[in-house]
Amino acid sequence: MRILTTDFFFSIFRIATPILLATLAAVIGEKGGISNIGLEGIMMMSALFGSLSAFWSKSWVIGLLAAMAVGLGEALLMGVFAFKLKTDIILVGTAVNMIGSGGTIFLVKTITNVTMGSALTSTTSLITKELQIPSIHIPLIQDIPVLGKIISGHSLLTYLAFLLVWLTIVLLYKTPLGMNIRSVGENPNAASSVGVSVSKIRFITIGIGGILAGMGGAYMSMYYAMGWSLDMVAGRGFIALAAQSMGGGEPVGSMLAALVFGFAQALGIKVSATGVDSNLVAPIPYIVTILSLVVFALNQRRKERKRYRGAA
Amino acid sequence: MSEEYVIQMKDITKVYPNGTVANQDVCLNVKKGEIHALMGENGAGKSTLMKMLFGLEQPTSGEILVNGEKVNLSSPSMAISKGIGMVHQHFMLVPSLTVAENMVLGMVPKRSGCLIDEKKAVELTEEYAKKFNLLVDARAKVMDIPVGMKQKVEILKALVRGARILILDEPTAVLTAQETQELFVQLKNLKNQGYTIIFISHKLKEIMEITDRMTILRGGRSMGVHETSQVTPQEISRLMVGRDVILKVEKDKAQPGKEVLRVRDLSFTNEWGKKMLDSVSLSVRKGEILGIAGVEGNGQKELVDMLFGFSRPNGGSIQVNGENLIGLSQREIRRKHVSLVPEDRMLYGIASTATIEENLISDRSGSPELNRGILFNMKAIHKETEALIKDYTVLCKNGSQQVGSLSGGNIQKVVVAREFSNDPALIIADQPTRGIDVGATEFIRKKLIELSRSGIAVLLISADLNEVMELSDSLIIMHGGKIAAYFEDTAELTDELMGRYMLGLEEQSPEEIRRVCHE
Amino acid sequence: MSRKNRTKFSIIRGAAALGIGLLVAFLLIFFGSEGSTVGEKFSSALDALREMLISPLFRKDGSFSLKNLSDVLAGMIPILFTGLATCIMFAANQFNLGAEGGIMLGAFVTSLVAIYVPVPGPLLIIVAVLAGAIASAAVMLIPAVLKAKLGVSEMVNSLMLNYVIMYFLNYLMKSFLADTSKGITQTFPFQDNALIPQMINNGSRLSWGFVAGLIMVVLSWFFMYRTKWGYGIRMTGINQPFVMYSGMNVAMIIILCQVLGGLLAGMGGGIEVLGRYNVYNWSALPGYGWTGITVAILAGNNPLYVPLAAFFMSYLTKGCTLMSTNTDVPAQLISIIQAVIFIFFAAQQFLSGYRQKLVVQSAKEEMAENNAGKEALR
Repeated sequence: MRILTTDFFFSIFRIATPILLATLAAVIGEKGGISNIGLEGIMMMSALFGSLSAFWSKSWVIGLLAAMAVGLGEALLMGVFAFKLKTDIILVGTAVNMIGSGGTIFLVKTITNVTMGSALTSTTSLITKELQIPSIHIPLIQDIPVLGKIISGHSLLTYLAFLLVWLTIVLLYKTPLGMNIRSVGENPNAASSVGVSVSKIRFITIGIGGILAGMGGAYMSMYYAMGWSLDMVAGRGFIALAAQSMGGGEPVGSMLAALVFGFAQALGIKVSATGVDSNLVAPIPYIVTILSLVVFALNQRRKERKRYRGAA
Repeated sequence: MSEEYVIQMKDITKVYPNGTVANQDVCLNVKKGEIHALMGENGAGKSTLMKMLFGLEQPTSGEILVNGEKVNLSSPSMAISKGIGMVHQHFMLVPSLTVAENMVLGMVPKRSGCLIDEKKAVELTEEYAKKFNLLVDARAKVMDIPVGMKQKVEILKALVRGARILILDEPTAVLTAQETQELFVQLKNLKNQGYTIIFISHKLKEIMEITDRMTILRGGRSMGVHETSQVTPQEISRLMVGRDVILKVEKDKAQPGKEVLRVRDLSFTNEWGKKMLDSVSLSVRKGEILGIAGVEGNGQKELVDMLFGFSRPNGGSIQVNGENLIGLSQREIRRKHVSLVPEDRMLYGIASTATIEENLISDRSGSPELNRGILFNMKAIHKETEALIKDYTVLCKNGSQQVGSLSGGNIQKVVVAREFSNDPALIIADQPTRGIDVGATEFIRKKLIELSRSGIAVLLISADLNEVMELSDSLIIMHGGKIAAYFEDTAELTDELMGRYMLGLEEQSPEEIRRVCHE
Repeated sequence: MSRKNRTKFSIIRGAAALGIGLLVAFLLIFFGSEGSTVGEKFSSALDALREMLISPLFRKDGSFSLKNLSDVLAGMIPILFTGLATCIMFAANQFNLGAEGGIMLGAFVTSLVAIYVPVPGPLLIIVAVLAGAIASAAVMLIPAVLKAKLGVSEMVNSLMLNYVIMYFLNYLMKSFLADTSKGITQTFPFQDNALIPQMINNGSRLSWGFVAGLIMVVLSWFFMYRTKWGYGIRMTGINQPFVMYSGMNVAMIIILCQVLGGLLAGMGGGIEVLGRYNVYNWSALPGYGWTGITVAILAGNNPLYVPLAAFFMSYLTKGCTLMSTNTDVPAQLISIIQAVIFIFFAAQQFLSGYRQKLVVQSAKEEMAENNAGKEALR
C-alpha cells in the first residue's frame, strides 16, 4: 500500500497545527525564562470554552476568541502564583493540568446542566459543520497538481499557525517587546538595571503563551475533532515543550520539530489504517520526544566539550 | 568650595539588616572632571558605598549631594537621571543581543510604530563609540565579543543614558594587560571631555598611573583623601593594608615533618582565555601552616578549586601523600584525608534548612561508626554531634536546630567542626573567619594552630592580613596568578613589606620563591 | 522562628488553603445548583457542600457509617503508594511525574504474574507485587539515568513515558492478553491465591493492602530519615553543591530516588489490582499519580504525613462521589478542589506577610528571653 500520498502530507499539517501553536507558546515562554508545563491544561480548558462559546453564540469567531481569552486568563492566573506568590512554575503548571483534566469534565457537566438542563460529558453533539473553523481553499494554488492538494484546503488556523511562526520571529527579534522578553529571560538584572519592568514583561510573556495555547485548544475542539471530549489534548502541550527544546528554542527549528511530530503521528494513523493496532503507533510521538531530547543533549554536550577544548 | 564637587557623600553609615556595619561615617568628595580612586581591600566597604551612590542600597545615615543638591537615590533609575552611571564588575549585558541592542535596551528607537529601528540603534552606538573613542562592533552579539569590548559597551551604555559621572567597579579585574592599557587611554580621554570617573580598584600600579586623587577605605572607615601625585606607593599600601586590631594568638614553633601536599607547575586558563594560575609550585609539610596572602582575584580561588576537584588544571600536578588528586571527585579527594573549609560557606559549606546534626555528618554519613547495618546508628550520630557541638562551642539549643537559623560565626563553627574532625592529613582553610564575630574568629584560629601542632598540614588562604601573618609558620604571597614571594618565617614581616608584594611593586627571584618546595 | 510559631503558621496556612479550596468549591456548586432565587441556590449549594463534607462518615440520619469510612480507607491504598513515591522523588528536587505510568505498569505486570505464573499459596501475592514493582522501577531508570548523566529534563521524559506505557499496555491487552469472550477488554481472572484478602467483607474492597501501605509509610520514613541514602536524597533536595562538596555521589542519588519512586508506584499498582479486582481491565492512566503529587505536596515530602494527606484526599474524593449521587453536582469537582488546595500549599509567598509577623515576634521573644537571662546573671 502507498503511504506517501497527498492525503498523507496534507494530514501532517493538519496534525501538526495544534502542536505548532503550543510550541510557539513554549518558545516565547522559554525565551522569557518561563517553563510553562501548564500549556496542556490551558489547551483543554480553552478547547472546552471555545466549543461552548461557539455553540452559544452560533459563531466560530466568538468561539475562537473565547478560547483565546480563556487561555490568556488562565496564563495570567498562573503568573500571579508563579511571580507574585513565588510558587514553583512546575507545580503551578501541574495544578493547571489537574484542572484541565478532571476540572473540565466537572465544568462541562455543570455548565450544560445549567444552560441546557442535561449534563453532557462532551460537546461533540454541539459543534456542527457550520461552527467548525472554516477551511480555506487557496485560489490558483489549489489547482497546482500534488502540491495544491497538500497545502490548500486547510483550516484557517493552520495557515495562521505558520504565519505566527513568522510573527513570532518578528516579535522576538524585531520589536522592543521581544527584546525585553529575551533580556528578561537571559539576564533579568541587566533588564531591570536599565528600567525594564521584569514582572510586567513576565506577565506579558506568559499571557502571549496562553493566547497561543488557547488557539491550539480551539483548533482541537472546533476543527480537529468536532467538539470537546475528555483528555482530548493527549499530551500535545507536553510534546510542545519537547519540540521547543529540540528546535533549540528558535521559532523555525521548533516549527520543524513540531512537523516531525506531525509526521510521526500521521505515519501512525496511516499504518494503523493497514490493520496495525493503533495502540502501537499512538505512542510514536512520545517515543520520538524522548529520543530527540537525548540526541539534543548529546549534541549539546559535544559542543560544550569542543568549546572547552577550544578555550584550553 | 563645595561647588567644585559633583559628588559629596557626607558621614555615610550603612548597617545591613543582619547587623554588619559596612560603612561608618565615610565621606567621599569627588571633583568635577577628575578620576578619583576608591581604594581598599575586599570587605573594606567600597562596593557598599558605590551601591548607595547608584541607588541600589540606601544609607542608614548620612547624606548624598550631587552637584551640590541633596538627593534621595532610591533606585538605579533615579541615579541615572542624576547623571550617574555604573559599570558593574559582573556585566549587566544580555549575551544574545547585539551590542547596539544592549545599548538601547529599555529606550529602544522605533520605526513604523512598533519595530526596533535597528539602523538607528547602530548609528547611535557608532556615534557614541566614535565620540568617546570606544570602538565597538555594534552589530556583533555580545556573547561573541571579547571581555574588553564588553566593558566598553557597558561604559557606552552609561554614557548614552546621559551619565556625566561614571563609577567603574574593578574594571581591570577581568582585563588582560593590553586591554587595561587601552581602557586607561579611553578613560583619560573621557576625563578630558569633562566626565568624572570614580575608579574602584586595589591595584596600586593602576591607581598611580591613572587617578588624580584617591579615597582609601579600611574596615568600613575612610583613611582620608590624598592627591595621587603627593603620596608614595608605600604610604598607600600602609594606609590600605595596615592592621587594625591585632588578635594575638600564642603558638609554638613549628616542627615540620614530611611533605603532605605537593603542587608543581600548576597552570590554569579560564574560559575567557585569561591565565589565572601560572606555574604555581608549593609544598605543605606535616605540622606546619602555610599561609597564602594576596589581594583577592590573584589566583587563590582557582588554586583552591583545583585542589578540591571543582575544576581541572591545564597543566601541572597535585599530590597528597604521594597520590595524585587531579581528575578525582570530591568523594575520592576526601578519602585521601583532605578537608576544605570553603570560602562560600552558604553555597558549599551547609544545607541551610537541614539541622545542625545533618550538617555535621555530611562527609561521614556512610561511615561504619555511624551506621548499623542499613540504618543510621542514631545513638552514635547524636553522640558524635553532641561532642562536636560541645568541642566547638556551637551556640545552639540542640543538634536538631536548623543550621540556617544560627549566626554566621556559629554556622562557620559547624563547618569547621565537621572539616576538622574527620581525621584530616591536609586542611585547606579558605577565608576561614571572613565576616564572623571576634569570638568565633579567635576560636577557629586557635583550633587551626592546635591541629597543625598535632601533625596536620594546613594551607590557609586569607585576605585578612592579620590572620595570615599571625597564624602562618611560613607564607607566600600571590600576585597575578603567580607566587610573588615566599617568607620562611613570618616573624620578621611588616605590613608594609607585604603590601609591596601584594600590590605587585616587588617580586622575589625564582630561586627565592622556589624555596617553598622544600627540595 | 520558634518551633511553636512554626507549627502555628503551618496549621493556619494549611487551614487557609483548605478554606479557599472549599470556598471555590462552594462557588462552583452555587453556580451549578438548582433554584430560581439566589436564596434557594444558596441553600441547595450549602446542602451539597454539607453532603460532601459529612457523608463519607455519616448516613443521612446522622449515624456513623462504617461502610463509607471503609470506602475512604480503601481509596487511600493507591495514593498512599504514589504519594510516597512522589515524596521520595520530590525530596531530592527531582520533578519526576511518572508515578502515574508507574502504577499502571505495576498493576499490569502484577496481574500477568497473578494470572499465569504458578506459585503456591500466598507467596504468589508477594511474587506478583514484587514483579510489578521491579518492572516499574526498571522503567524509571530511563528518566533517572538520562537526568543524571545527560541532564535531560526528568519531567518531560517521565510525562512522555506515562503515555508510552499506557499505549503499549493497551496494545498488549488487545493483541495478546484479553479474554475475548468478554464484552470489554479485560484479562483472564487471577488465580485465587493471588487475591489479597479483605480486612472487612462489606464490599468496600478494603484489603490488607491498606496495612501494607501503612507499613511502607513507616519503611519510607525510616529510609528517608534513618539511612544514609535517604539522608543523601534529602540533602540533595536542599543543596546539591553541598552534597557534592561533602563527597556524596550526586548522580547515584538522582537515580536512586527515581528508581525507588518507580518501585513504590509499581507496588501500589500491584496491591491495588490484587486487592480490588480479580481481573485487570485498566485502559487509561488511573490518575493516582497526580493525586500522589498532591498528597506529597500536602505532606511536605515527609512520608509520615502521607497517610494524613491521603486520607484527606480520599475523603474529599469519596465526599464528591457521594455528593454527585445525591445531588446533581458532578464528582469531578474533586479535581478543582485538589488543584486549588495544592497550589496554595505550594505557594511560598502565600500568607508571607503573616509569617514575617511571626518571625519578628519570635525574634522579639528571643531577645526578651536573652535580656532576662542576662538580668538574672547580674
